[in-house]
Amino acid sequence: MRINTTRFGRIDIETDDLLHFASGLPGLEDCQRWALLADAGNDALGWLQATSRSDVALAVVSPRRFVPDYQVRIPRSELSPLAMRDLRDAQLLVVVARHAETLTLNLKAPIVINVEARTGRQVVASGDLPMRYELVGQRSSLKKSA
Amino acid sequence: MLVLSRQRDESIMIGDSIVVTIVDIRGDKVRLGINAPAEVPVHRQEVYEAIQRENVRASRLAPEQAEEIGKLAGRGPVPNSGKAGESARG
Repeated sequence: MRINTTRFGRIDIETDDLLHFASGLPGLEDCQRWALLADAGNDALGWLQATSRSDVALAVVSPRRFVPDYQVRIPRSELSPLAMRDLRDAQLLVVVARHAETLTLNLKAPIVINVEARTGRQVVASGDLPMRYELVGQRSSLKKSA
Repeated sequence: MLVLSRQRDESIMIGDSIVVTIVDIRGDKVRLGINAPAEVPVHRQEVYEAIQRENVRASRLAPEQAEEIGKLAGRGPVPNSGKAGESARG
């Protein structure tokens, strides 16, 4: 299928490659089908592009590449809708945002993807994790902000 | 909104599988115990609302605004399953 995007123009993608988020994402509940795209200029970065809204895309990264000591515990109730038979089928991503001059990662609410079933869900992790982890240089320890 | 008065150790039922119990009351703080099926996520409302706000904000990010992330990355897995990873820009 062909999807229109405001950032990347028109993209052709196989329907089988789309990710289905049955509950949408918080704040973006109407967006249930997403395409995971690689950023052309940056191999650390991916984009979750909503298929139904050309202007909605979330920059995502693998958290451990930026926060090596990121430990995430996810309640069973958050994972059960994904019906994962094996946790090795899970891919973990976190959403990138910008606050003023700083890029931030939402470590509190990672996105879990069942790679096998191509389903996804943004979950709320247990414990005291920042929603705006600030990326400043090569810092490896968790810093809590606002 | 349905409003119910409860005392400590009393409960309300939501449907036939969710029980909310008043565990403790101290001053203006009430502690609730929630028994719900494993597949029902339970969140503090302000946490969920904060995630909504972060997502909406993040969904407006332009590729140029994320460019510097390349300088901030260490070594590790790339966020791509490989299946949908066609070159996106341009």
